[in-house]
Amino acid sequence: MATHEEINEALQDFTVSFNNNDRLRLMNRDWNRVVIVKATDVESVHTWILKNGELTLQEGLTADPDLTVISDSETLADIFYGDVTPIEPYNNGTLRIIGTEDDITRLDFICLMIWGE
Amino acid sequence: MQLKRVLTLRTVVATSAGLTLASSSFVAAVMVANYVLGDSAWIAILIGGALCFLAAACFSELNGMLPTAAGIRLYFSRAFNDQVSLVVSLLYMLIVVVGVVGVESYIISQALHEVVPSIPPYFWIVTMLLLVTVMNLRGVKIAGVFQDVVTYALIAVLVFIGVFALYKVGFKLNTPLAPGGAVGIINAVALGVFLFVGFEWVTPLVEEVTQVKQIYKGMMIALGILSVVYAVFTTAMTAVVPKEVLLASPVPQLVFARTVLGGFGASLMVVMILAASMKTFNAGIISVSRFMYASAREHVLPAVFSKISMRYFTPWVSIITLFIIGLLASGLTTLTKNYQTLVGLAAAMESIVYTMAGLAVISLRRKEPDKERPYLIKGGYLIPGITVLVFAILAMAVLATDLTALLYMSGAFVVALVYVKTAVPRLKKKYETRRPAARRRRPARTAAGSKEGK
Repeated sequence: MATHEEINEALQDFTVSFNNNDRLRLMNRDWNRVVIVKATDVESVHTWILKNGELTLQEGLTADPDLTVISDSETLADIFYGDVTPIEPYNNGTLRIIGTEDDITRLDFICLMIWGE
Repeated sequence: MQLKRVLTLRTVVATSAGLTLASSSFVAAVMVANYVLGDSAWIAILIGGALCFLAAACFSELNGMLPTAAGIRLYFSRAFNDQVSLVVSLLYMLIVVVGVVGVESYIISQALHEVVPSIPPYFWIVTMLLLVTVMNLRGVKIAGVFQDVVTYALIAVLVFIGVFALYKVGFKLNTPLAPGGAVGIINAVALGVFLFVGFEWVTPLVEEVTQVKQIYKGMMIALGILSVVYAVFTTAMTAVVPKEVLLASPVPQLVFARTVLGGFGASLMVVMILAASMKTFNAGIISVSRFMYASAREHVLPAVFSKISMRYFTPWVSIITLFIIGLLASGLTTLTKNYQTLVGLAAAMESIVYTMAGLAVISLRRKEPDKERPYLIKGGYLIPGITVLVFAILAMAVLATDLTALLYMSGAFVVALVYVKTAVPRLKKKYETRRPAARRRRPARTAAGSKEGK
């Protein structure tokens, strides 16, 4: 089980990687979304706000989501540290993402661009 | 907190019905009519629809329990094992793509060739496939509202022409309950199932609705509407045009519309064929290309299929591969004109998937009895059991009467099985050996790992 701090660290890391990637920022300049990341086994909720290609992370629920990412803490930390692709836990049912299929795929594309295969 | 954008029941119904209302459905409808005597095709269609209600109930329980866009990939993986799930998913995608694209493109090309005889049919196939491929590559989506409008307009036109034709010929049921022998009825019902192929493809939308029950409500409503529409339209077609004439045409709906409403009817039906086929093509390419992308990301297909367009965020290798497969499938169908085998093949595959959905419900109730089920089929194992039995018989009936379909199915099954048993372990191994160097262990884990190491 990962702690809230570990998830927070993983998400911070992901946020920095996203914002440091000019291409990714350019590609997502029109994709304005609110993403909630919620753990099921520890008290941990984060809100990502992607606006004009700039990603910001906030602790807690701060806006209505377009996408909600729900999983156990270990899986969340693994995904956002790039240790596993989101597709693997998604296809085995460990990870649940609530939102449109296009947005789900876009999130995976972003992970792919940050972490590679 | 609520999701900002959610789908309505109207869109869920339109999606379920819209994926089903393909131009090739009318070829299957005529084949259904040919298996039964007189004007009793409607009986086989309604039975086929009623049986699909059973399958829909199974999908509803699975979908409520495991709400995911991964669909059968996850249901079968949990219920059986990953290899079974993968073999069936690959087979399903391959057969549905080849079957649907092959038949649909053939039908469009024949319909347009009738309108503009100077242009060869294959030109239309290439043009349509190119158009849909470019749209998918550029990430252009047909708007939800437009899809709803097309689907409901199609339903309205079919009911209108059907009822008008029945009225025009002063139709009376001559043989209301005399469909003929049991073999004919079983085959008719099995092909009748093809009319509803795709109704369950709405389940991936579960992540876009506020309540899971909207999905099963939508599926049931769509099946009810489709049963009535197909029954009326098929009865009208066979009442107005001789069965052998309809059977000889790849576009029986066009022949029928022209007979009833003349040039206006033919023009209206060409527009409907185009809209329905474009919608089906587009939905098929989106779904299957995303499936290929996801499979590549979980290392069960070569990594090349996970390549994405840097400009449009679309899995371009998967989309172009589907374009090539579509061209080959439609080229072969045009050459052989054997589109009826593809209809049988897709009907059999769909019946196999419905059989497995019933088995998955039974298996998961035993494996995970305490898992929350927002939709639980009443009556214990009765409905899943009937679903398994009925669809297994229907699959066997279709394959036993069409040996070419049986051959294709067996060949595809062997290829999928060998691929999953030999190529997939290699792909996973290749990924695992490459992965450690790039792995970004979390600090806490690394520390824990080094402690364990000491």
